[in-house]
Amino acid sequence: MNFLSMRAIRARSGLDTTVGWKILSWIVIALLLLFTLVPLAWMLSTSIKSQVAAMQQPPRWIPEVVTWESYLKILDPRQEGGQRFLRYFWNSLLVSIVTTILSISVTIPAAYAFSRFKFHGRNALLLIILMRNMFPAVIFLIPLFLVMRTAGLVDRHASLIVTYMTFGLPLSIWLLKGYYDNIPRDLEEAAQVDGATQFGAFLRVTLPLSAPGIVAAAIYIFIQAWNEYLYALTFLNSDRLLTLPVGLQAYFSEFVTDWPGLMASSFIMSIPVVILFLILQRFFVRALTEGALKS
Amino acid sequence: MTASTPLTQRKAPSIPFLHRALQSHSFMAYLYILPSLVVLSFVVAYPIFYTILLGFYSTPAISPDRYWVGLSNYIDLLRSRTFWETTQNTLYWTIPSTIGAFLLGVPAALALNQPLLGRSLLRSIFLIPWVISTVAAAYVWRWLYHSDFGLLNGYLMAWGIIQRPLLFLDSTNLVIPSLVIVNVWKTFPFVMVMTLAGLQAVPSELLEAASIDGAGTVRRFFAITLPYLRNVFLITFLLLFISNLEHFTIPWLMTGGGPARASQIWAIDIYTTAFRGLEFGLASAYSTLVFAIVLLFATVYVRLLTRREGVEA
Repeated sequence: MNFLSMRAIRARSGLDTTVGWKILSWIVIALLLLFTLVPLAWMLSTSIKSQVAAMQQPPRWIPEVVTWESYLKILDPRQEGGQRFLRYFWNSLLVSIVTTILSISVTIPAAYAFSRFKFHGRNALLLIILMRNMFPAVIFLIPLFLVMRTAGLVDRHASLIVTYMTFGLPLSIWLLKGYYDNIPRDLEEAAQVDGATQFGAFLRVTLPLSAPGIVAAAIYIFIQAWNEYLYALTFLNSDRLLTLPVGLQAYFSEFVTDWPGLMASSFIMSIPVVILFLILQRFFVRALTEGALKS
Repeated sequence: MTASTPLTQRKAPSIPFLHRALQSHSFMAYLYILPSLVVLSFVVAYPIFYTILLGFYSTPAISPDRYWVGLSNYIDLLRSRTFWETTQNTLYWTIPSTIGAFLLGVPAALALNQPLLGRSLLRSIFLIPWVISTVAAAYVWRWLYHSDFGLLNGYLMAWGIIQRPLLFLDSTNLVIPSLVIVNVWKTFPFVMVMTLAGLQAVPSELLEAASIDGAGTVRRFFAITLPYLRNVFLITFLLLFISNLEHFTIPWLMTGGGPARASQIWAIDIYTTAFRGLEFGLASAYSTLVFAIVLLFATVYVRLLTRREGVEA
């Protein structure tokens, strides 16, 4: 970071970088780090203990004997327990990926239309779509369950995929619309003068330029689908179909005291979203703040 | 592709009506939006309508029939003491959760808005609780709170602060505060991100000018930064408040609403009424009631959004 941008940040901050404020900032950060990291670190620490060592008091952060037993148990495809856990993992992956692909293919044309065309009811429609985020998930639970039952979709992944699509749609439409708003129309028109159809111009000019927005929306949709619990709990019954969040409950209700196993599973469940998020954090943070703040 | 409508004029096809329809931007726009609308109306519009309707019916668990009962579900609900106790719990859960997330999230954003070493790494770390699954968070905290083998009781006892373990999740007094802490842990990063974004909108020239005029840090914060953050705070507050009002997962997985219904909140009540008691009619009336309350807040949210848009347009 060069000197100029450092100055810009400092000027923007509203707080001086005087020593006192700096010390105060570090105190705030240290306390929050402690609060944030202790549970996460304890999850990891417990996951590499034996069941007996996990119940030792006073607590020990680093076990005398490190054991990978819990990870082997849930990840070994040769064992019954491993097969079950891996199947939940696969179900989560399948549902999340299909949801993401379908949502994005629906989002792109909608966002494009909202950005490029003036039409009757445009603002009202946009508002209605955005309002979706305001409605409690619980409200849709009962009618959706009954609808899915009538449609024969209960206990199928399709019911989750359709539901999860609506979770991500509002924010992704909003976000991508913002991207399209910023891409000058002239670029598309130039491509059309060169003989491309409007669709061709969109494909070759606008789509690549909005790639960061699409990536951000995709991550957002994926994480939401991966983490969702309530609908998965309600819609799925068969053990072989469960996604990870509900699968864990089924898996461990039989062994309530297996805290190392539960912590290892929680850790494995968190890995995909945390990695995705860390790699593409910039897009993601921007997506969220723009979705809710900018117009 | 016949549907392609270049912005530059093209030679008119032989059927003028069709031509006009295809050329019209409205038609294209509706076509593009259609898939989203189909999904949203199937999963949003129809269910809302259905919930409201079902709220006026009695749906006996043993038969597939339903009977029109008018407002009696609502009357039953509003007359029951448990509903008001649940409402009290819900507020007791929602208000401290929302305020707590602000009390941690705003200082975090202010601290991270300064040029500190490892700023973006710190931001990433703080955001982890927010990205991981609520289910994972609930299990980890249940383990931390465990009365016999939990980390918290372990330290509190080892340091001699308490003689007997605290029943974080099994005492009617402690249960909601304990759950609120988990919720704050999970949501303060959201407030932090939103505040950080809001801070980027504060014009640096204003701050510099005030600084030249001799305004101190605190003065500048209250006179310049805070007014700029007002809208961000309002929107963030509403979003968080609403999502806390309808929250389900943390209490459900950590206490199941117990002990003795002490952490029973709206979402859990609705869920158990519908899927344990199989009283879909009553649960629908319940949902509709909660929906009406949320709608009230949502209207405020939309007002704020459109007002901002109006200013910027």
